[in-house]
Amino acid sequence: MNPLLLRRLLINRQHFFGRLGIGAAALNGLISESSAASPKATLPGGLTGIPHFAAKAKRVIYLFQSGAPSQHDLFDYKPQLVASFGNDLPDSIRQGQRLTGMTATQDRFPIAPTRFQFAQHGQSGAWLSELLPHTASVADDLCFIKSMHTEAINHDPAITFFQTGAQLAGRPSIGSWLSYGLGSENQDLPAFVALLSNGSGNPMDQPLYDRLWGSGFLPTNHQGIKFRSGADPVLFLSNPAGIDASDRRRMLNDLAKLNEIQLAEQGDPEISTRISQYELAYRMQTSVPELMDISEESKSTVDLYGPEARTPGTFAANCLLARRLAERGVRFIQLFHRGWDQHAKLPAQITGQCRDTDQPSAGLIQDLKQRDLLKDTLVVWGGEFGRTVYCQGRLTAEEYGRDHHPRCFSMWLAGGGIRPGMTFGETDDYSYNIVRNPVHVHDLHATLLHCLGIDHTRLTFKFQGRQYRLTDVHGHVVQEIVT
Amino acid sequence: MPPPHSNRQLTADQVQLLERWIRAGAEYQSHWSFAVPVRPSEPKVQRSEWARNPVDRFVLAKLESQKLAPSPEADRFTLIRRLSLDLTGLPPTVQEVDTFLADQTSDAYEKVVNRLLNSTHYGERMALPWLDAARYADTNGYQSDGERSMWRWRDWVIEAFNRNLPFDQFTIEQLAGDLLPDATKQQRLATGFNRNHRGNGEGGIVPEEYAVEYVVDRVDTTATVWMGLTIGCARCHDHKYDPLSQRDFYRMFAFFNNVPESGRAFKFGNSPPVMTAPTDAQERELEDIDLQLQAAELRLLELEPNSQADQAAWEQTLRPDSSEDWSITRSLQARFDLAGEDASRSLKFEEGDPAYVPDRNTRVAMLDGQRYINAGDVGDFGFYDKFTLAAWIKPTGPDGALLSRMAGQSEASRFASDSEGYRVYWKAGRVQLQLTKRWLDDALRVETDASFPAQQWHHVAVVYDGSRLASGVKIYINGQSQRLRVLLDQLNQSFQTNQPLRIGAGGGPLDRFQGHVSDVRVYDRDLTGDEIGIVATEENLGQLAAIAASGRTAFQAKKLRVCFLAEHADLPLREAHANVQRLRDERTKLLDAMPTVMVMEEMPVPRETFVLIRGAYDRIGERVSPGVPEGIAPFSSGAQPNRLDFAKWLVSPENPLTARVAVNHQWQMIFGTGLVKTAEDFGSQGEPPSHPELLDWLACEFMQTGWDMKALLKTLVMSATYRQSSRVTPELLERDPENRLLAHSPRVRLPAEMIRDQALAVSGLLVDQVGGPSVRPYQPKGLWTDLSGTDYEPDHGENLWRRSLYTFWKRTSPQPTMMSFDASAREMCRVRPGRTSTPLQALALMNDVTFVEAARGLAQRVILDGGESASDRVSLAFRKVLARPPRPEELTLLIDNLNANLVRYRGDPDAALALISQGESPRDEQITDSELAAYTALAGLILNLDEAITTP
Repeated sequence: MNPLLLRRLLINRQHFFGRLGIGAAALNGLISESSAASPKATLPGGLTGIPHFAAKAKRVIYLFQSGAPSQHDLFDYKPQLVASFGNDLPDSIRQGQRLTGMTATQDRFPIAPTRFQFAQHGQSGAWLSELLPHTASVADDLCFIKSMHTEAINHDPAITFFQTGAQLAGRPSIGSWLSYGLGSENQDLPAFVALLSNGSGNPMDQPLYDRLWGSGFLPTNHQGIKFRSGADPVLFLSNPAGIDASDRRRMLNDLAKLNEIQLAEQGDPEISTRISQYELAYRMQTSVPELMDISEESKSTVDLYGPEARTPGTFAANCLLARRLAERGVRFIQLFHRGWDQHAKLPAQITGQCRDTDQPSAGLIQDLKQRDLLKDTLVVWGGEFGRTVYCQGRLTAEEYGRDHHPRCFSMWLAGGGIRPGMTFGETDDYSYNIVRNPVHVHDLHATLLHCLGIDHTRLTFKFQGRQYRLTDVHGHVVQEIVT
Repeated sequence: MPPPHSNRQLTADQVQLLERWIRAGAEYQSHWSFAVPVRPSEPKVQRSEWARNPVDRFVLAKLESQKLAPSPEADRFTLIRRLSLDLTGLPPTVQEVDTFLADQTSDAYEKVVNRLLNSTHYGERMALPWLDAARYADTNGYQSDGERSMWRWRDWVIEAFNRNLPFDQFTIEQLAGDLLPDATKQQRLATGFNRNHRGNGEGGIVPEEYAVEYVVDRVDTTATVWMGLTIGCARCHDHKYDPLSQRDFYRMFAFFNNVPESGRAFKFGNSPPVMTAPTDAQERELEDIDLQLQAAELRLLELEPNSQADQAAWEQTLRPDSSEDWSITRSLQARFDLAGEDASRSLKFEEGDPAYVPDRNTRVAMLDGQRYINAGDVGDFGFYDKFTLAAWIKPTGPDGALLSRMAGQSEASRFASDSEGYRVYWKAGRVQLQLTKRWLDDALRVETDASFPAQQWHHVAVVYDGSRLASGVKIYINGQSQRLRVLLDQLNQSFQTNQPLRIGAGGGPLDRFQGHVSDVRVYDRDLTGDEIGIVATEENLGQLAAIAASGRTAFQAKKLRVCFLAEHADLPLREAHANVQRLRDERTKLLDAMPTVMVMEEMPVPRETFVLIRGAYDRIGERVSPGVPEGIAPFSSGAQPNRLDFAKWLVSPENPLTARVAVNHQWQMIFGTGLVKTAEDFGSQGEPPSHPELLDWLACEFMQTGWDMKALLKTLVMSATYRQSSRVTPELLERDPENRLLAHSPRVRLPAEMIRDQALAVSGLLVDQVGGPSVRPYQPKGLWTDLSGTDYEPDHGENLWRRSLYTFWKRTSPQPTMMSFDASAREMCRVRPGRTSTPLQALALMNDVTFVEAARGLAQRVILDGGESASDRVSLAFRKVLARPPRPEELTLLIDNLNANLVRYRGDPDAALALISQGESPRDEQITDSELAAYTALAGLILNLDEAITTP
């Protein structure tokens, strides 16, 4: 191809991408701006002007606990409740708030104090249940929020709300917003990766949905890419049987040549983009398996994450992968661990869930710290709502279940931009209502973006005639917990 | 306008500017799209010879005003491929290309256009964007995301496009077909459009909240699709930019708020209101069976006179003291007479010794409130199964379970009745049927209104018709159908368990039956009232025969009669009787197999509608009556306007939006970008049209020609604008990077569905049957289990190779290859397609078995049909995909690639075999492995070309 023409096209293409914004957008790491002439040349994606101010965190690892962990049995210690065992929840506390359809017709609301022992840990004296010994060991690195609250009362809308800022489907997920706004730091991996695992506490638990890492109305190149355990960590990553890497290389060489002929003929810069996408696909065929291969990790490192870290597809293995993804500059690493929806048999189920997650979560913090990655990696741990202080179903000293409770619950944050070793917010004696420093889901989102150097009111996308943002028209940065 | 409290002030400069503007004679104009379009005169152009129709004059005028010239006409290869993909979504065959090339007549092009517009694939292609707009899918979209069945509506859409139903009628039927006078089945079916929204069946939701969401979805979708307005803003507050108040929103809401529906949808299947929507073939089959049934019943009547005498003679042979008996045995899954001999069968007394006592002139089981009978694995029914459970009972205690398949009480449960399963229950003289998945919010429970004395024998029969509704349950006592009380009607998941059938007990230690039980029957069918009457007739045949014919009850007479017809009549009569039975069964089976569709329906008394403050379901404001946003167009209707009035308003000539929005959608489909780029937003926040006069001319033309879709499309594709080459120069890219001026034809990446359909078509795999239930083509294993319970099971055979619009669409886990090529997840209405370019698309095209198999199919066809030389075969493969022959340098590259492939696979037979073993379609064994593999790799290369996935 005439090099002058090619140069001209390239210049025009940048102009073109700058103007277009949508459709053929070259905004995230997956869309490289490489050309036929220099297939390795790439530009970081992201919007100009972002970050809006100096970022404390470069990336996020979000350990989402799907199904809603009980704050009563893990974080929010209410010793005085023991004396109220089996008593009805006072009306003065419930205040006529709506209940789910599962317990709304229950004739009594007996108080179920936790069965588990609590103690204080670390310099900060954080209260934690005996179910979380490893989390306790890193308590001084964490910032506990006891006063989270949300609007939804059921799983699907509540998880969708947490991941997209809206209860109904259709909005971009957090990671998509970050891919759109910040782009990727790695040219061979997507900017947004999702990793899924199933809880051993309650294997038949609530389902997940692709929309939780979907891009909503943002271009689909910003959607999260699910990395799976097994032969094809990214769908269709492997060549079909009978095609090896050198076959693929030869095919891609010929493909590029044919596409270049067409580019010269047609003059459409999209053809050049297409050529570079194939090159990036080829690089992913190497970079992703490398990422998934933990054989080079030292035993002491793997041990940090607990005995299941070597079993692909577990939460522990995913935590280790999360660190490897973080190291490689992936912007948003979204883990989902199912199994926390404990309407019945809560004590046994939550014990299983904590066995799955406690050591790996704490191990991740330690590992990030020892690699000096914690300072610019924001880690988030929590579910979509809390659980009720009153029992669902029959209450005994040993057995109880808890229904959904959106009015207060606990989470923890750690790492880049977050003040370590503190507890924020307070609930009443029943962990039913918030009495101090409420943090809404929109506030969490605003804070998260703040840590990444983004003013949440200024990361917007125009759709259907209006500027949308992750926090809709709400959200305040929780200044007290950021550094 | 910012509210006063925002404290935003105009600067002195801004005030001055406004003043200058007003002084210069600024005139108030409403937003362009809210003024009724007036047919503009065609503009004057310099190069009028270029224009083939008025469309071109508008486009050319704009180009000339920008000192630009249109591009030359594309070559015929390009034109036919472009036309075929745009109008049918499929590539032209090589033969179609050759025919077009050879056609020297002046209307050769038009002939192609007409052929394509008349193809049945036209309707399929047109359905694609419409299904996105209608958020059509095969699952309910929330949480468990259970299956639903809306494909009959999808087929209605295809068929409506194919018969060129005028767009105004297309609109009216989909929005309000049910309200048309003497609405046909097809017109009711069309209203499935506004039941395609997601439905939430998650346990614990507040139904009122979702009832509102469904209506909001209908309003949003309808406004986006027909009005091009983002009316959703007005749910919570007056629209900030367009003339839509919050009150307007809820007045429109009121039109869609009268569906007799619950906010809590069924988790699995269609939620009411639904209609049965048989296919044409099923309709014909039903007619056929009905005719046969008529004939069979006639035959029975013919034989009737003789049969009375024969029956009397047979009755004479029955001795009063004989124990011979008979009852309904059709669909009888199990019977336990409980006279003591059952022990040899699977029957087992548990928690007590077997106990039989004499009663009812036989022996019967005696249950003491402790022991019960384990009847083994019979009666394994779930919520879609029809069944009948019957028994003779003599209760001696107050409450107890008669029959059940039920799990033991869960630890967390406070009531024995909480646990999962089904149970027939004696409760203080009343009989209950309990179908339970989870007590309190996922169960069905009914009981007889009347109560019956203990210490007496009663025949109890419970019939369930598989409808999941309380109205589908009947309870008979002593053959008499009982009035029922509905205690709970919220069944949402199956109550099927792996428990045994228990007689006299539920799942746990509580609520055991106390009393005598005899003659337990389990039928896997919903018996009719007459049949129940026969089952409940205690007297055996001899006893019945001994009663004078005039003294027999109706059921007694029926029992004798049916027994005679079934077993003792002469052969012709028995056959005639059996024939009627068989046909009735077939008819039921056929009716059961008919698909249903969720449709719109009006409640007799309209639901009241209120403004919802901040859009929240539980914050009721002012009451409103149905109405339209009158800032847009006047509304003439009666005192109580309904959905039909609304639909008619949409397509009235005074409505400034609908025709413009509709022609813009078609423009977008043909030219890649709408004249109004924001196809979803014609409001003041949307983009103004690139060619306002052209848009208005098209809208007026569209209405004038009777909303003729095919005519509209023909106008677009017959234009010189459409026929331009898509070649672009750097200068033009600089001047008009988005090609809004249309100085050349756009190159647009094909929609996801077309990329796959094209691969199937050129490989010869495509099964081009139009319509039918959704199919499950290849999908990587485990995608569904990553998210929840059961995995996707791909179909086998022809269903693997149907067009992509028939692919089963699961909203929470849509087909990944489709999604990577920007398919809509179908969770909400979408009227503007996404178009990205990503490495995941490259991975899918290279490695998804769909395309690897298609490459093999293409390879095989060119080896078999492409002649002997490599160059002919390679050219054929190229032409099949791209219509045009390869250029010499392309051909050289392709042949080199093929030769390298041949060397590679001749040297590695295992690799060759592996490559050509992808996919389930059979291969031609005559072709050697290495040759087929080499051509497969070559075909894969061609299918991956940028040109292959782009309109030319």
